[in-house]
Amino acid sequence: MAELDDIIHQPLRLRIMAALNALPPATGLEFAKLKKLTGATDGNLGAHIETLAKAGYVAIDKAFVGKKPQTTVTATAAGRGAFARHVAYLKEIIETGSDNAGSGTPS
Amino acid sequence: MSIDSQEAASALSDIDEIVRRVRRSRIYNLASLNMILWGALAFAGYAGSYLWPRSAGYSWTAIYIVGTAGSFLISRFDQARKGVRTFDLRMLAAFVLFVAFGIFCTIVLGHFTPRQLGTFWPIYFMLVYTVAGLWIGYAFVAIGLGITTLTLIGYFFVGDAFDLWMAFVDGGGLILGGLWMRRS
Repeated sequence: MAELDDIIHQPLRLRIMAALNALPPATGLEFAKLKKLTGATDGNLGAHIETLAKAGYVAIDKAFVGKKPQTTVTATAAGRGAFARHVAYLKEIIETGSDNAGSGTPS
Repeated sequence: MSIDSQEAASALSDIDEIVRRVRRSRIYNLASLNMILWGALAFAGYAGSYLWPRSAGYSWTAIYIVGTAGSFLISRFDQARKGVRTFDLRMLAAFVLFVAFGIFCTIVLGHFTPRQLGTFWPIYFMLVYTVAGLWIGYAFVAIGLGITTLTLIGYFFVGDAFDLWMAFVDGGGLILGGLWMRRS
């Protein structure tokens, strides 16, 4: 059933999840690319990615490419499912045209 | 927590915008690799035409074969990495039809001089870039119009060094455009 996801609903986290969800499964985005796509700052993006990772919605992979550290963020299956439910909830609100009380974050 | 339909519409609009940016970024990424490849080949082709004009026909045929194979390999590499096929049989057919029409125009309908051929092909390709860019992204339009303008300047105002001019304008332009696109 469609439901509001408090974690995803925050504007920047919504943009992060939308960007990751637009990729094929198991494909991630580098931190710098994600920053550019979402228009976030370094600190802001890092904090929100941590929140999404704690909820199990994204996986963070840190590696070195040459001597440069590279962080890649990928949406997990749980994250994709939660995002799909959240989008369905948003569409439901528009279709019914009324305010809707969310059921909170699924665990 | 509750949200109203206006807030929901705004969130969905945000999502659409991000999805559009991601798609454009992926297209730019793949296109940039192809542009760098074709830029290097075009540079070699025009430099070859300048240095050995009599062998230009052979060298350009070889360049088209190498370029098509290279684009196919880039697509296969991208497919293996991202799971999405970008250069399939339909794309190959479109490319063959595009080139065949160009050959029909330049050899059958008209009998183009080497200088006219060297002008026609980049403009012909850049027309596709420009038109596609109207839907895909402004970078294609900028690169298409930029190379077309410089090509025409070369055609009308550059003398014997036209092929050398084109090596830098078409070859160098595609390489620079591809590198710029990777940063966009």
